[in-house]
Amino acid sequence: MKTVYVCTDSVTGIFSAVYDAWKAQKTEEECGISLGESIEQQLFCDYVEVEETEKKAVTVENMIRKNMGLLAYHDIYQAALAADEEKGDAILGTMLAAKRLKDSKKIMEHLSHPKVEKVFELSRRVGNESHFHVEFIRFRELESGILYAPITPRCHVLTCIAPHFADRFPLENWMIHDKTHRAFAVHEARKKWVLVQEAYDEAYKEEYEEQFKMMSEKEREYEALFKSFCKTIAIKERENPVCQRGHLPLWYRPNMVEFS
Amino acid sequence: MRIQEEMSIYDKLNILTDAAKYDVACTSSGVSRKNDGTGIGNCKLSGICHSFSADGRCISLLKILFTNECIYECKYCINRRSNDVVRASFTPDEICTLMIEFYRRNYIEGLFLSSGVLKSPDYTMELIYATLYKLRTKYNFQGYIHVKAIPGASQELIQRVGFLTDRMSVNLELPTAESLKLLAPHKTRKNILTPMRLVQNCMAENKQEIIAYRNSPRFVPAGQSTQMIIGATPETDYQIMQVTESLYQKFELKRVFYSAFVHVNEDSNLPARTDEGPPLLREHRLYQADWLLRYYHFQADELLSEADPNFNVLFDPKCNWALKHLEEFPVEVNRADYKKLLRVPGIGYKSAGRIVRARRLGTLDFEDLKKIGVVLKRALYFITCSGKMMYPTKLQEDYIARNLLNVGEKLPQDVVNMGYRQLSLFDDVRFDADKVVRAI
Repeated sequence: MKTVYVCTDSVTGIFSAVYDAWKAQKTEEECGISLGESIEQQLFCDYVEVEETEKKAVTVENMIRKNMGLLAYHDIYQAALAADEEKGDAILGTMLAAKRLKDSKKIMEHLSHPKVEKVFELSRRVGNESHFHVEFIRFRELESGILYAPITPRCHVLTCIAPHFADRFPLENWMIHDKTHRAFAVHEARKKWVLVQEAYDEAYKEEYEEQFKMMSEKEREYEALFKSFCKTIAIKERENPVCQRGHLPLWYRPNMVEFS
Repeated sequence: MRIQEEMSIYDKLNILTDAAKYDVACTSSGVSRKNDGTGIGNCKLSGICHSFSADGRCISLLKILFTNECIYECKYCINRRSNDVVRASFTPDEICTLMIEFYRRNYIEGLFLSSGVLKSPDYTMELIYATLYKLRTKYNFQGYIHVKAIPGASQELIQRVGFLTDRMSVNLELPTAESLKLLAPHKTRKNILTPMRLVQNCMAENKQEIIAYRNSPRFVPAGQSTQMIIGATPETDYQIMQVTESLYQKFELKRVFYSAFVHVNEDSNLPARTDEGPPLLREHRLYQADWLLRYYHFQADELLSEADPNFNVLFDPKCNWALKHLEEFPVEVNRADYKKLLRVPGIGYKSAGRIVRARRLGTLDFEDLKKIGVVLKRALYFITCSGKMMYPTKLQEDYIARNLLNVGEKLPQDVVNMGYRQLSLFDDVRFDADKVVRAI
């Protein structure tokens, strides 16, 4: 009978599920991973709740790094952040496929394997979305001088984009607010950035987020300057909104000053 | 004489952005640099675009002129001295504040600084140097800077600027010396190529220094580029590609940019104004061919010739080449070498790389190729997987050309709606496409 490991939608959750499945030494057909909220129960399956611990996740992480290499780890990690219900299954399948391979480090080249292909696709999707956010995030300066950027991504991209900004603005206080997954990446000047979950009560949410609207004196001025810059730089004779949409999908625009 | 009031920064930005918008290069790629923890900014090798303007071009850098005052009289340029336009100049401090404030809000990736020639080339270059120096030292800016070298500026100044900037470019302006003489009487070919050669030599020298002393300052680490105007003068695509190729080979440029000529001035030496707008398709074809030179191991001679000097309107240069060289096809995906794969329409350099790696671990079929990223609707006529073609197709030029046109990026409306229409004997929805193919 097939065993399905049920975990939450997080890297720790998925890696813990992989840990349990790996330990039970099952073959690909005998096990699967499904994410907590999205279970559609099937016949002839045994559903097991995974006990999620940091330790299990770290063990799996080290195992992937050591046996499958850094590049494969990068792909698997990114795939685990994707907004997709089958990502757990794909990751487990890829790892089991790697086990059968003579050189497990070459696993991500094995694109004719459906699970590997899925991980590749998910990783690419998350990578692309992170890249878009690195491009299109707009910080605004709050009254306190803190740079604040709200985003509404599909995937959990915060951990992919925060290192870029930590390197870029080491002397700034900044935070990126992932409104979809209710999380923050917070960076204090000269320190390391941290990931924080939204902890305030639903009832106080509006009141709390009010402070993100209090902008510094200069903010409006620079917003206006940039808006007019974007408008002037376009050559009228070459206008091409389809091309613009291809590069900058409408989905990203609500959070960008030049389109507000 | 009219005495001008002090202009606001808002007006200045508008004027000097408007004056800079015809410059093409807005890339921020070619150099990777981490922040050392004491300043602001870093550089990513791939470059980062931060927005896209209404014309679909990327906004990566704060693209401005230092000043739009100019002593030169280039016929195609909006800022030529005989034009009556509002003139403005930034000060180095204004540029620095604007730059840093935009940068920390993640609006832009760096600075693109060009300029009209104020008083003399050296005077202008000196001002540019002062701006960069301030930005790099006082503000400790470690992000990307692209600077235009002013033709005619002294060697020493260009060298000094080179150590502060990431990319330097000298505009070739027009593909041949004759055209340059006609449209830009104050610039000479020699004036443009000398700084280009200088930058190339300094870069080579600097490479040696870096080998010896790892921390020595870097000279134009992202390389140099240039741009030329397309469609203002009668050169053929073949001539332009020849020039491009020699720039890549002899001057080791990173990029050559093409700018479709936009009518901004009336002048008897410029082509007559038409309703067609700038030659965008031609520009597009040149860029496609440019990519073929840089990433796909093509030679300019293979793409065009004296007898056939212009690009095909209907097919991109690679497709066009493939149609003319059917003896090289079909290519067996599971065995052909990397360079062969690169020449197949629908296979890009990324997919070609993936194919080479994936086939070591198993044979590939068409389904796999699709997932790898191959554009099958174009590639299917030119490839086999394990000896089989995707569909039974003929390896004939007009047959493939006709089919390629039918599945072109945009299907004609009547083809899309075909299902809902009464059929009649005489209307063939593909008639138009057929006619076009026969015509070529």
